[in-house]
Amino acid sequence: MDAIDCDVHCAPESYEALFPHLNEYWRQYITEAGIRVNGMAHAYPRTIGAPAPANYPELADRVLNRGHVRFVILNCLTGFETHRNAYFAAAVASGLNDWVREEFLARDERLRASIVVSTISPEDAVAEIERVGEDRRFVQVLLPVRSDLPWGHKNNHAVFAAARERGLQVALHAWGRAGRAPTPSGFTTTYLEDYLSNQPIAQAQVLSFVSEGVFDRFPDLRVLLIECGFAWLPPLLWRFDKDWKGVWREVPWLGRRPSEYVREHFRATTAPAHLPRDPVLLDQLIEMLDGPGMLAYASDYPHEHGDGLPALLERLSDEQRRSVMWSTAAELYGLRRDPAPSRGA
Amino acid sequence: MRRRVELVDCDVHAQATEAMLAQYLSAPARRLLERYGRRTPRVTEWYPRARNAGMRLDAWPGKPGHIWGSDPELMRAQLLDEFGIDYAVLEVLSGQDCYDHPDFAAEWNQAINQWQLEEWLSFDPRLRGTIAVAHEYPALAVAEIERHAGDERFVAVLLPASAAEQLGSPKYWPIYEAAAAHGRPVAFHTGGYVDHRGAGYPSYYLEYHVGNGIVMQSQLASLVAGGTFDAVPGLRVVLTECGVAWAAALQWSLDAAWELMRDDHPRLERRPSEYVREHVWFTTQPIEEPDDPKQLVWAIEQAGIGERLLFATDYPHWDFDSPKQALPRAMNASLRRAILCENALALYGLPPERAVT
Amino acid sequence: MRVVVAPVSTFPDGERRIVEVGGRSIGVFRVGESFYGIRNRCPHQGGPLCLGHVLGDAVADAPGQARVSSDPLRIACPWHGWEYDLDSGQSFMGGAMAGVRSYGARIEPGGSLLDSLPARPTERVPGPYVAETFEVRVEDAYVVLEV
Repeated sequence: MDAIDCDVHCAPESYEALFPHLNEYWRQYITEAGIRVNGMAHAYPRTIGAPAPANYPELADRVLNRGHVRFVILNCLTGFETHRNAYFAAAVASGLNDWVREEFLARDERLRASIVVSTISPEDAVAEIERVGEDRRFVQVLLPVRSDLPWGHKNNHAVFAAARERGLQVALHAWGRAGRAPTPSGFTTTYLEDYLSNQPIAQAQVLSFVSEGVFDRFPDLRVLLIECGFAWLPPLLWRFDKDWKGVWREVPWLGRRPSEYVREHFRATTAPAHLPRDPVLLDQLIEMLDGPGMLAYASDYPHEHGDGLPALLERLSDEQRRSVMWSTAAELYGLRRDPAPSRGA
Repeated sequence: MRRRVELVDCDVHAQATEAMLAQYLSAPARRLLERYGRRTPRVTEWYPRARNAGMRLDAWPGKPGHIWGSDPELMRAQLLDEFGIDYAVLEVLSGQDCYDHPDFAAEWNQAINQWQLEEWLSFDPRLRGTIAVAHEYPALAVAEIERHAGDERFVAVLLPASAAEQLGSPKYWPIYEAAAAHGRPVAFHTGGYVDHRGAGYPSYYLEYHVGNGIVMQSQLASLVAGGTFDAVPGLRVVLTECGVAWAAALQWSLDAAWELMRDDHPRLERRPSEYVREHVWFTTQPIEEPDDPKQLVWAIEQAGIGERLLFATDYPHWDFDSPKQALPRAMNASLRRAILCENALALYGLPPERAVT
Repeated sequence: MRVVVAPVSTFPDGERRIVEVGGRSIGVFRVGESFYGIRNRCPHQGGPLCLGHVLGDAVADAPGQARVSSDPLRIACPWHGWEYDLDSGQSFMGGAMAGVRSYGARIEPGGSLLDSLPARPTERVPGPYVAETFEVRVEDAYVVLEV
């Protein structure tokens, strides 16, 4: 079956690869400061998975030519690594988007990508969306799930406005800038805990988007949670609805139950699929999720999370499986199997 | 005459005013409190409780010097007698969000425990207490546990769900060791100083309140992944006031991640979910209420925690769960009975019958 | 059954009385010239409904732009805050977007999508509980409750 893979990674091997897209000042800064692309080493240790493809031939060989994938959405996380110099962050974001276009998007019509933006300055994020957002090969704005301020906060709304003005969605991807403790009680000491921290953080972001009325302001906005898991959704929605019933006056702009906003506006990729193996429990989870309608397939190449997905897919009907592997993402990004040949930059 | 125990309430808040606790402080500590106050702001200042100021409005005693939860007589009438509660476990939260100087912290917690003894535990034989400790100063905390360990009416050691370090940090292990050595579970109660660094500070109490369940997920992951239960094999923990329905998804994540990266955890001898099912209890309030109540029962069964749930009302807070109404009808009689009393009797070693006058 | 609650002159605007009638506790409220009667028992978990705050509505034109109105009147349970229309006893959840302006798909130069609002009006969501209400009227200068 043809599929849309909603999360495949690419990353430049070094900043040298971006130099053609950066001005002389930044080239000198990077060289003098010894800044290296570390491939988010704290997030993806080498023992688990492989380095992200750094060029088109690697991507074609390792991903595109291996399976029945009609479209691949490329997510370059190198922008997540940038430090707190806002101007550097903005320059690198632009450089990365130009690099992705030249190295990947121009070479294969199966490829789409997320726009990388500054994660420090909403103003700069808006500027970058305005700069490249008309390019239809970009389908969404990529944000890290870890943030200084929850993404739903009013300070960030201009980013969503800019995205929607150009028909773009938003994605929250696991991980984020190094140096922030991932939990409410500080740093974790093991990779496993840091890795799993993305899930509670994603939950907090879901609460923020809904509570801040982002979907009341931007009713066509969809947010894809990438690499954040999804089995935690049902209990979160039960609690969210219950608490809202008591304190709705704090957020009187919410005209519907929070769970309805979440079901309509959020989607989640299937990697990681941290699930039970027991088919009875899988069927229960699917029912608790109200069906698999929120799920969109992602390989998350080259990151590994175990093999929970096949057992879940096996419990689905053909139509449900198609929605996970194709139609949910197709609808999200306006993708058709045979798009008109005149599309392009 | 003796009566068979039917209902144990595992999370009740006796709430002290500063004046009530100050009377147990030394003169210098009292002077410090009067002149400079305690340095951490109350959580109600960061996230005001947007409904009914966070309390059951009918729990206001209307007596001079008293506040919600400070009057044993009102609690006895409004909670114990009204609902036929056989035992109620008090959790006094006055020291939870505390970043006091160690000397003061030690005295403050001594005051909390003394207040429990004098005003509550001797007031009604149905009441049980929890030992409040200066959790950021483990040696002082251990001393406080030793001070009260001989009194059976203190059934657990109380810590907050959010602290300066993750709860699985070896920093806190001496406290857990002391609790386990004296046969007491450690109750981690929602609250404490929550430093929202992962996603940043939420704007609304709604987010903060729902977030209480989310916070406990990371803390449970920390306890398990940190090897706490291997280091302190006799440790039992009670995750308090954080909900219950999220426990299955967390176990699935812990197990899946552990399979992939066991080499990062050579100390973990067993699968994470096994530790959860052996060492962890949950109080029920605020119990989740899915549209289809049978899904709550599913979530409990998926997590394997039917024998680990402890009923709680959280009196006098606004999101109080009524013993008569809070558990859905979808629960069968045996699960209901386990939650309402049997699990608590087993955990706390409480007599299954008690004398009534 | 007709129960005389009090002379109107002793029951000022903004006050409430709880009366026990045939084993049922009922709250009688005066708001302006209107009287309401509602069962003093929240259908959710049995709390003493009539001890709660009486509130008008809270409506938001957009996130952060909230206003209150005096109508319709609701009583909020002093426990979990479930709210019931004083008139009908119907519980309602959440707010309603006033949704006045229309949503522009394209923004004029100098304008911003932030100034636009969705045109979708939303109905307030009725909740699953309905509190029992009772007729209260004024007869010969007395407040009378019909149970």
